Amino acid sequence: MRTSRGARGAVMVVLLGLGLLLGLAGPPGALAQGTGWACAGPEPATAPEGEASPETAAATAGPIAFPAEGGELTVFAAASLTDAFTAIEVDLEAANPGLKITYNFAGSQTLVTQMTEGATADVFASANLAQMMAAVEAGLIAGEPEMFVSNRLAIVVPSDNPAGLTSAAGLATDGLRLVLAQAEVPVGVYARQAICLMGHDSAGYGEDFVARVAANVVSEEDDVREVLTKVQLGEADAGIVYVSDAAVAGDAVRLIEIPDLVNVLATYPIAPVVGGDPGLSAAFIGYLLGRDGQDTLAAYGFGPVP
Amino acid sequence: MARRDLGANRFGPAVWAAATLLVLFLAVPLAAMVIRAAAASRGLTAAGLDTLRQAITLSLVTTAIAMVVIVLLGTPLAYILARGSFPGRQVLDSLVDLPIVLPPAVAGIALLMAFGRRGVVGQWLAEWGITIGFSPAAVIMAQVFIAAPFFVRAAQSGFARVDRDLEDAAADLGASPVRVFTTITLPLALPGLAAGAVLAWARALGEFGATIMFAGNFPGITQTMPLAIYARYGAGDLQAALLMSFVLLVVSLLILVGFRLTGGDRQEGGGRSSR
Repeated sequence: MRTSRGARGAVMVVLLGLGLLLGLAGPPGALAQGTGWACAGPEPATAPEGEASPETAAATAGPIAFPAEGGELTVFAAASLTDAFTAIEVDLEAANPGLKITYNFAGSQTLVTQMTEGATADVFASANLAQMMAAVEAGLIAGEPEMFVSNRLAIVVPSDNPAGLTSAAGLATDGLRLVLAQAEVPVGVYARQAICLMGHDSAGYGEDFVARVAANVVSEEDDVREVLTKVQLGEADAGIVYVSDAAVAGDAVRLIEIPDLVNVLATYPIAPVVGGDPGLSAAFIGYLLGRDGQDTLAAYGFGPVP
Repeated sequence: MARRDLGANRFGPAVWAAATLLVLFLAVPLAAMVIRAAAASRGLTAAGLDTLRQAITLSLVTTAIAMVVIVLLGTPLAYILARGSFPGRQVLDSLVDLPIVLPPAVAGIALLMAFGRRGVVGQWLAEWGITIGFSPAAVIMAQVFIAAPFFVRAAQSGFARVDRDLEDAAADLGASPVRVFTTITLPLALPGLAAGAVLAWARALGEFGATIMFAGNFPGITQTMPLAIYARYGAGDLQAALLMSFVLLVVSLLILVGFRLTGGDRQEGGGRSSR
């Protein structure tokens, strides 16, 4: 009876694997906690300011010509820039024969990890300063990052608005299925900042507002576009995205404004990457800072750098 | 089967070189991960450890329930497929195979279209106040969808290998069909069932694509180990991602050893050729 002995051995080995997992498993009490809910920071009255900006060169930068022979430019850009940058690619490639722009859109934190692990890029456009500084610390950035565009947050709900949400205060409604980005994703950071601002006494949303909103979070996504998708599908009752994402989302979602007082200004830094083509990078960044680039970004719902 | 295996020296150097290259390619990443995981264990943060333990707990609970569902519903299906002769059997056979070759991302979309809140079935469930998305139930459904075919296939082979004469003999001696099944058929098919269960568990444990699309990603609710690895990697917390990967590698190795011991690899081959 070789098989039955074998089967017994197999059960033992598989149980060993199970035992290993059981030994490492956490107590059930530790379950179901969202991340990134340590509210500390500016009060709503003082400043809904995203972050200290290192350099705001939008006004001073002049257009820089792309090399006449063209070339291939690889840009790692925050997911929220998808539509605006794709439109800019069309413009730039039409105006500069021989230029080929390739994008890699993802959450800024994922882009930093990819570059740290050896992915090659010419330009990195981050949705917040924290991820740009992470790239700087990892030795990935050539030169000084410059702020090139800004954004604001908005709530999106499915067009049929199943939870009947009408304002930001409604985010604390019991049972609302809210989707945010992970705490490391820039839009996840900004969204938690905004909710913390709403939770502050002076905002008047109620004292346990933050805890109640945190309890409504049903999924933490990798980037802002995945938050938007969950709302477009109707799986989520609400999501917090950028105003620019809401602008391109079409009829499947409705936008609910977050008042300025409790909104957060997201500022986007951009920089050339070590090992990239300096000429092409400078021309691309210069174009974004120039009037044409800024006009396109504005058309897609972005704001200027303050 | 009577043919003797070739000795090592019967293969030319080119054959050995090509084979070695592929073995190295398969082994080096795993070895590198083990080396780096050893270093990472020192840099693990408390938050990383929490993520790891929550993910392991959730993976264990969801795959355990998925396995119960798969075995309870999969065994009858495997029996029907092994013994039944009816119109449409071929179609049914192919349908069961489909999730094996289907990309998990496609499975995720398919599950959303069926059981999402606006899905074909889901909108109807929603009217009854039942929503599946973002719940452990969604995780389990993704696992069952992806892993069940692996069990059904192996169990089917197990049933197909059972000697019908033994069943007939038992029946002739007056055993009821239920008694024949429980005392003859099931014990003899057990190695096949066990091999299938082990394979299906491994596949359920590794389920990623369909889960993240259909169930979302929330620690302790829907964030199973593969999702936690991806989330920590994306968050720049490579330490936690490495350690969880290492744990899954060890479990996978144990599963493989267990599968070999059931004779599951031979079962599978025998079952396929006899069909």
